[in-house]
Amino acid sequence: MNSLSKDYQDIIERLKKEIGSENLIGYEIPRPRRIWFSVRKEKLVDAITHLVGKGFVHLSTITGLEDENGLEVIYHLNRKGLEASLKVEVPVKQPVLPTITPIIPGAILYEREVHELLGVVFSGHPNLSLLILPEDWPKGVYPLRKKWTHKEIKKKLSRRT
Amino acid sequence: MSSIIKIPFGPQHPALKEPENFMFKVDGEYVVDVTPRIGYAHRGIEKALEDRTYIQDLYLIERICGICSHAHTTCYTQAVEEALKVDVPPRAKYIRTIVTELERIHNHYFWLGIVAHEIGFETLFMYTWRDREIVMDLLELLSGNRVQYAMNMIGGVRRDITPEISSKIMKGVKVLGERMKYYKKICSDDKTILARSVNVGILKTKDAISLCAVGPTLRASNVKRDVRADDPYAAYDEIPFHVVTYDGCDVASRIATRCDEVIESVEIIRYALEHLPTGSIEVIVSRVVPPAEIISRVEAPRGENLHYLRSNGTDKPSRYKVRSPTLANLTALCKMLIGGYIADIPIVIAGIDPCFCCMDRLTFVDINNDETWGWEGEKLRRYGIKWYKKQ
Repeated sequence: MNSLSKDYQDIIERLKKEIGSENLIGYEIPRPRRIWFSVRKEKLVDAITHLVGKGFVHLSTITGLEDENGLEVIYHLNRKGLEASLKVEVPVKQPVLPTITPIIPGAILYEREVHELLGVVFSGHPNLSLLILPEDWPKGVYPLRKKWTHKEIKKKLSRRT
Repeated sequence: MSSIIKIPFGPQHPALKEPENFMFKVDGEYVVDVTPRIGYAHRGIEKALEDRTYIQDLYLIERICGICSHAHTTCYTQAVEEALKVDVPPRAKYIRTIVTELERIHNHYFWLGIVAHEIGFETLFMYTWRDREIVMDLLELLSGNRVQYAMNMIGGVRRDITPEISSKIMKGVKVLGERMKYYKKICSDDKTILARSVNVGILKTKDAISLCAVGPTLRASNVKRDVRADDPYAAYDEIPFHVVTYDGCDVASRIATRCDEVIESVEIIRYALEHLPTGSIEVIVSRVVPPAEIISRVEAPRGENLHYLRSNGTDKPSRYKVRSPTLANLTALCKMLIGGYIADIPIVIAGIDPCFCCMDRLTFVDINNDETWGWEGEKLRRYGIKWYKKQ
């Protein structure tokens, strides 16, 4: 466990060095094989590039969510069972993040999913057309935002016809 | 003059032919581009989970998929148990492992039958689906259900394995392992299968990694990655097993990988039954989950399953995210199809074992004269078999 946590500390220190300690808002090791990072969105691409270079080549998925503090996007990277999750906060008023598809081509569908369900725009993404929702889905309705409860969505959809 | 023909095929076919749409661009017999459009079976489960309690969610999670329901509930219960800081009794962990592996055997037998059907080898299809009944009977014996076993509950499992059930499982998996060895021999010897699978649907190692493929699709491209070995859960840290890989990067390798995985699963089940710990199979847990953020991963039959849970101290999750293996393999699938023959589309798509399978609607665009026409899956399957007969 000791050598393991040393290894984890090493990953954290290197990331800190790469993006600057002021841009690494926080980190946590809740249990073996899990590391959580929280970074400023300006340094997202740098952080991902660095981690991919360190062997975190597999992107399991991208989670988007909204809670009382606003929007959050989490990148679940993986290296041989060690799961490194990178959190970025996104302002609700201007939900824009840079795409990571040039670094990890496998992110293409995950970014589209977050875009559709939470309204986060990934600038530079090759194609942000609808993937999951129907073509006639009303604009501005992002089903995973808390404001859009089942009731509200139903109301909006019934008005459509 | 371009003419566009649209053929709407079917409402949804929930049993096997699930809805899906691919837009192919073809040049003669070659596929030059492909665009997937999913969502025909999108049910808004992630949103629905936020409105229900953790116990109600278990029922919903069980119904994400008809084939790998146990993998999803294992992932879910693990996440909730970790947030609750509950340790599941060792016997429950072993039972979970046994059901997981029975489910894998079921899935791979089922898949091999579909692959055989797609290439027109109906005898093999009939044989594998006949043998699949053995594992379905075992699952019914164990859980009471042929599908959606509902074995997992938060804090343990619902049913115990008695010595009688254990000996029946032993007998059943012995037959399944032997049959699979025979099918593996057929798949590596038979000319029809080899002609349709070797060098078909190539996914190079480099592409498999960069496109984030998972499961047997990834392992058939020679990448040794398996959640069971890398990030052990349930009882996998105590059970010895091999991670199967092949380096052919084609459909033939995907078949071989899955055949070997079944043989491996049989050994895991044997070991688990022989070393089944004694004790209880459940612990009582609180209905309210303290605030936490958990990532839970499971190796489902089709590949890595990732669930993300954020709890907020109530009896309902604040956010629950599910990423099933098919979505992870979809980008890689498009890569495999490009440059291949139209006739190979069914077998390549079936090759990743998609959960929304069977391409209910296909649209072709001939890039030479900009003509568009539509085909449904069955017609394309027949076209593929006929085309290969002429070669």
